[in-house]
Amino acid sequence: MSHPEFHYIGKAGPRKEDYRFLTGHGLYVDDIEVPGALHACFVRSPHARARIAAIDIDAAKQMPGVVSIVTGRELSAWTDKLRMAPPIEGLHPVEMTTLPVDSVRFQGDPVACIVATDRYLAEDAAEQVMVDYETLDAVTDMWQALEPNAPKVDESLASNLILHQSYVHGDPAGRKREAHRVIESTFSQNRQTHTPIETRGCIALWDEGRQHLTFHVGCQAPHPYRTQLAMRLRLPETQVTVISPDVGGGFGQKITLYREELTVAALARHLKRPVRWREDRLENLTASSHAREDFCRTRAAVDAQGRILGLEFEILEDFGAYCFYPGNYLARGVATGLTGPYKVQDYAFDVKVVLTNKVGNAPMRAPTSVTSWVMEGTMDAIARELGRDPVHVRRLNMLTAADFPYTTAAKEVLADITPRETLEAGLAAVDYAGFRTRQAEARRAGRYLGLGICVIVEPTTAGSKFYKAAGIPGSGHEAAWVRIEPSGVINASVGLGPTGQGYETAMANAVAEGLGVSPQHIRIQLGHTDVAPYGMGSRGSRGGTAGGGTLYLCALDARKKVLEIAATMLGVADFTSLRLLDGRVERREAAGEWNPTHVELTDVARIAYLDPQALPDDMSPGLEFHKTYDPPPRTYSNATHFCEVEVDAATGGIHLGRYLVAEDCGTLLSPTIVEGQQHGAIAMGLSGALFEHVEYDETGQNLSGSFADYLIATAHELPSFEILSMHTPNRSTPLGLKGMAEGGVMGAIGAITGAVNDALAPFAVVANRHPLTPMYIRELLRGKT
Amino acid sequence: MKPAGFSYHRPKTLGEALELLSAHGDNAKIIAGGQSLVPVMNMRLAAPAQLVDLNDLPGLAGIGAKGAFVEVGALARHYQLVESEVVRSLCPLLAQAAETIGHYAIRQRGTLGGSLAHADPTAQLPLVTVTLNAEIDIASTRGQRTLSAADFFLSVMTTALAQDEVVVAIRVPVAAPGEGAAFEIFSRRHGDFAIVAIAATMTVEKARIAGLRIGIGGVGPIPVAYADLCRRFIGQPADASRFKQLAQAIRDAVEPEDNPRIPAEYRRELAQILTERALTRALDTAQGNAP
Amino acid sequence: MNKVALTLRVNGVSHDLLIEPRKLLSDAVREDCRLTGTHVGCEHGVCGACTVLVDGRPVRACLCFAVQMAGHEITTIEAVAQDGQLSPVQQALHEEHGLQCGFCTPGIVMTFEAFLKENPNPSEEQIRDALSGNLCRCTGYHNIVAAIKKAATQMQESAGYVAP
Repeated sequence: MSHPEFHYIGKAGPRKEDYRFLTGHGLYVDDIEVPGALHACFVRSPHARARIAAIDIDAAKQMPGVVSIVTGRELSAWTDKLRMAPPIEGLHPVEMTTLPVDSVRFQGDPVACIVATDRYLAEDAAEQVMVDYETLDAVTDMWQALEPNAPKVDESLASNLILHQSYVHGDPAGRKREAHRVIESTFSQNRQTHTPIETRGCIALWDEGRQHLTFHVGCQAPHPYRTQLAMRLRLPETQVTVISPDVGGGFGQKITLYREELTVAALARHLKRPVRWREDRLENLTASSHAREDFCRTRAAVDAQGRILGLEFEILEDFGAYCFYPGNYLARGVATGLTGPYKVQDYAFDVKVVLTNKVGNAPMRAPTSVTSWVMEGTMDAIARELGRDPVHVRRLNMLTAADFPYTTAAKEVLADITPRETLEAGLAAVDYAGFRTRQAEARRAGRYLGLGICVIVEPTTAGSKFYKAAGIPGSGHEAAWVRIEPSGVINASVGLGPTGQGYETAMANAVAEGLGVSPQHIRIQLGHTDVAPYGMGSRGSRGGTAGGGTLYLCALDARKKVLEIAATMLGVADFTSLRLLDGRVERREAAGEWNPTHVELTDVARIAYLDPQALPDDMSPGLEFHKTYDPPPRTYSNATHFCEVEVDAATGGIHLGRYLVAEDCGTLLSPTIVEGQQHGAIAMGLSGALFEHVEYDETGQNLSGSFADYLIATAHELPSFEILSMHTPNRSTPLGLKGMAEGGVMGAIGAITGAVNDALAPFAVVANRHPLTPMYIRELLRGKT
Repeated sequence: MKPAGFSYHRPKTLGEALELLSAHGDNAKIIAGGQSLVPVMNMRLAAPAQLVDLNDLPGLAGIGAKGAFVEVGALARHYQLVESEVVRSLCPLLAQAAETIGHYAIRQRGTLGGSLAHADPTAQLPLVTVTLNAEIDIASTRGQRTLSAADFFLSVMTTALAQDEVVVAIRVPVAAPGEGAAFEIFSRRHGDFAIVAIAATMTVEKARIAGLRIGIGGVGPIPVAYADLCRRFIGQPADASRFKQLAQAIRDAVEPEDNPRIPAEYRRELAQILTERALTRALDTAQGNAP
Repeated sequence: MNKVALTLRVNGVSHDLLIEPRKLLSDAVREDCRLTGTHVGCEHGVCGACTVLVDGRPVRACLCFAVQMAGHEITTIEAVAQDGQLSPVQQALHEEHGLQCGFCTPGIVMTFEAFLKENPNPSEEQIRDALSGNLCRCTGYHNIVAAIKKAATQMQESAGYVAP
């Protein structure tokens, strides 16, 4: 596990961006002062499914402060529809108007927009808008959606089945016939929502003189967003600027162009006045984006020892009413990644995605989060069924170092991962045998301890080859520029969209490492589409490899030119005998050691900008560099998560004890930031498995419209996290970067559920749905305790 | 989520406040701590035209011993109930219960009077007043009256307060010498409203139950004290097996509502196990105090 | 639209406002006093992002009307650092990486500026208890807890008290 000595990356240390956040001087969208801005507020459907018969805005228009009220009709004249029709096998194309015109599809669907002089007045006016709805029966669960005569969520489709894909590799059906046992397990994941603490919001500034839109919006992918916004507004991309300021969390919610945002932009242009919108929490919970809600089934054909001979997998996802993303976007990744760290070649999957009258889904940190719970839960089921130790079953089936590179049944190539090593190291760290002893003692005393183990393989960066192979339009490359200023300090930029990941620190480290200058002299500019190069944004844990990798490579180009100039200044023939360290040029002596010279970066910069005649022949002036980088089709991180719980059999309460993760995240740009990302991901996974649940009743009313109903884990419910770092580099990426930040969600979901089931083993019950509420636990135990 | 408009009144005396309530009738709402009212107003589930702010009223936040009682003013904040030496020593059940309310910041503002008037079926302070059969002083322009806690709470979020009446103080009995107290709460997360809560006090003499109170919240529209049931156990040994019997009797006595999220059976089970745990804890603190 | 005139004292500065009684303290601080460090996360008193101090006590600004606060001293996040010097709580959060997106951070700082004054030597359980009224979606709380412990220790040391 050796890697080269790094000077700037891989060192723990506090972030550069903290000061403004600690002192209340961050600049989030709602903090931006725009004199004279009008405030938008949306009128939303109280019904899950209805035709819009009429909208009467007369009374509302008379209300104090109201400047304009628009509905789907006006917006259809000013904007283009969204057409979601990527060439994906089994996917039906759909269209979406900017605001609904004829019908609404979920409780909370926006039907009109009020613009007034302040939000209070806008909400007063919203109450006066009279909408005449013809209510219709709603589709409120995934099973109902599949029924032959179910109401249709999208009338343009033949049914609610928006996607159906199947795949088979090898002969899993044959393996079932030969098997010692076929073990079937099911897993129901709850509907969740992202709940960044900062809700959505935007400000649209229309410059009538320049015919130019400047749009402030918290956004994870500013350039793709800009492209979409321009297209929908029928403006060329030269006339739209998107600026993402400080953002209070995204987690996948702040990627796509939402209908409300497009409405605000169109209104600003139409009214020729600045318009702003701040989503409130009720809207955020009931009308932004939802996630997860899958039903999964595995059938594992095993031999008597527990070796998996073949595996079949089904997943049914409730995608909500609108396709902000292609229907396969989330569920297919579960199917293709399911086998994770295990040797399984006879594999079949069936993916079905249905529409229902709920908020549409968006990727939520670890969109394939259910994967590891399903696979690890299947391993635990095998162990239970055959009376074997769950660790033994995992070892029997797991890929080891000798197996890599390994092409999975779904044709993914796994390389440079260490699942077995993290499993073994973690088992030792938690003292697995010791735990079993404690568990047995506790059981004798009527206390129920459990340990859950979850091995994860986290797909991170996706290069453009991946998208091409999957038939998903788009690229995985990234872009960066680095500019050494005349005074020798560095401005740099990359096309990522920060929402709290500390890029100003981590990316500065990447540039520092590439160039040879301390990060304190490097400023990373992000989020402004006129400043940053066109990149694909932040999602899918691509920031580290795609973003950091591109910046590093760009900085290497900068270093080369700097050293070529320095060589001329020093009269050295071979610039490769020079290096830059902490901004000073050093020269390698005959004996191999590096000695400082009198030349500093500031000297080189001065010449490059102000005395180009002194440059080497044929070298152009200036020190400004641009680079794009296309990562490998896939990179991976991996880890094994261990969660200890105690279940109170009388109340069903679950108390979290020790939580440990043994992780391999490749080379770390900033160990501090990586650790924070791991904590946050684990917390989100635990919170989701234990507490979170977007609930709709049978008429499609959303029952989770406040933080009193949609529960997120607090500091009291969550444990401390222990991290065992066992990082190994990726051999195909710059610096050996792998990326991370979502695997923790996958591991936590699997580990907590495994732990609860381990605790409940004496009762011969299995918890297979989330959230793991005390009421559910008691339902399993009732009559058995 | 912005509230609807209202006219705001900030009376300086109780008399002024009562006059305002009398004059505005159904159009007026009192704001004290605001921790329950303002969320509801922000969501526009309530839109009073007149808001009467009681926070400036003098003399309504006092806490003091008055003979056999501890008297607490309606504007006493939850954190004061937690920290007051008088409450901790003379009515520890009240301090224990207050400590479980919401979170640190909520307890800075929320008031005793507000919690009682709001009458959430699972709230801590209504449960304690019912368990201890507290006296609740009420004022209006028509004068003062006193109700027992049993008569004060009528149904879910419904009390015997008339539209123009205000809670001004409560009196809870000083704990008997050696009396142990336990407040047991089960909720989804720390600080959430209880699913079921138990308030219990116990005195023990020569290892037998000499005094016993049990009150339960979350198993009905209002908190209930099980005085008759407790009486049956006076004189019984204060031991684990008796506590189990008591808990079983409680389980049989409660009639919680059934709903899909929280089945009635679950509430019964919680009532039973929490009673057992509360009695065990009350016994621990009782023995610690026993002469 | 019945606006009323009132004076709000925020961070020792008087602000003369003409606002509707229904305007929440959180909005008045942000818009009328132009102190945007206090953030709005839910407007129903659960997330704690809007926590300010009123007469030194932590209060959810989304649960008060600005008019209620005339005659009281309000302290917001902007007043915590002195001349660019971070408080022990702020400094510890920085050193322990107790913030990521920063949106919940001011609310947490204000909660603990008050809490540590009353509880100078809290246990981890007490810290998590006090922190449970502030929701964070980024950090998992682990580093925030570590930061508060560090701040508590640091504050005691500079007050001359060394924990046994």
